Amino acid sequence: MPNLPDDSFFEQIADEVELHDSTPAPARLKATVYSALMLLEAAAGPLMSVNEVAARGNKLCVFEQLVQIAPVGETAKSLNYCRVCHARVLAEHFENPPIYWPGCPYVQLKNS
Amino acid sequence: MHHPGQATSGHEQVIDPLVPSDQDLVAAVLAKDRKATAEFVARYADSIYGYVRARLAPRYEFVDDLVQEVFLAAWQSLGRYQGSGPLQAWVIGIARHKLEDHYRERLRAPQSIEDEEQEPAAPSSGEFLELLEQEQVRKNTWRVLQGLPESYRLALIWRYWEKASARDMALKTGRTEKAVERLLARARAEFRERWNHAQSA
Repeated sequence: MPNLPDDSFFEQIADEVELHDSTPAPARLKATVYSALMLLEAAAGPLMSVNEVAARGNKLCVFEQLVQIAPVGETAKSLNYCRVCHARVLAEHFENPPIYWPGCPYVQLKNS
Repeated sequence: MHHPGQATSGHEQVIDPLVPSDQDLVAAVLAKDRKATAEFVARYADSIYGYVRARLAPRYEFVDDLVQEVFLAAWQSLGRYQGSGPLQAWVIGIARHKLEDHYRERLRAPQSIEDEEQEPAAPSSGEFLELLEQEQVRKNTWRVLQGLPESYRLALIWRYWEKASARDMALKTGRTEKAVERLLARARAEFRERWNHAQSA
């Protein structure tokens, strides 16, 4: 290809050749992003309580279900429980973590 | 990966009554529904990751941090999402801004732009369009871009794929427009040399 690049060539080639990469995001990255967002949300005030989350039709994980039925106030039901859950640690460090609980956001992210 | 109800492209959206629409999802995330936040990440992580990765190749070590920055910025701006377009396109727009910050930061490094080199001749050719139709050309473009020095690659992507003007690039990197034009000229020349080599190989 003689005499290739000039401005118009590069404009044409940029139009024709899409910069595309279909590599899916690593599950670890998704887990890390989710954890970071939950930290931000929790830092900005109480999260939606697990009662309300369930009332919206969402599936709760086993730990959230325990919190839901526990005799505690709304404040306790609005904490970021993922922060102290071992599923988070596994999901942030392993690409295919051994976590399978229904309703766990890290399982959802692993399978997404 | 596709999720029911998500925007599958910039303009197309699959309707599934069981899956929240973009606006419902945004409202739920803003209400701090933890499941909605997970859904937000699950829906858009792959597309943002691919978008960023394609523009930073082969410097993949920057990709994860940038994707995370995109999500954090998106969350912070989510209240401004008007719903006039697909949420995916809105999030990709944020990714574009974050990438621009990255280009600016990388090209600001003192070694990125040198002023002393002469601009190489840049003759045109009418044969390019025919060749652009060929898959080999696409592959070569991709391969040559990935092999370029980082400053050349970022400058070309910023200028031609992201449609930034040399003046904009100069303003954002704190360099003179002339210096940016020289960088672009060297990048084009290097691209040409590698391209010709790839074509003849």
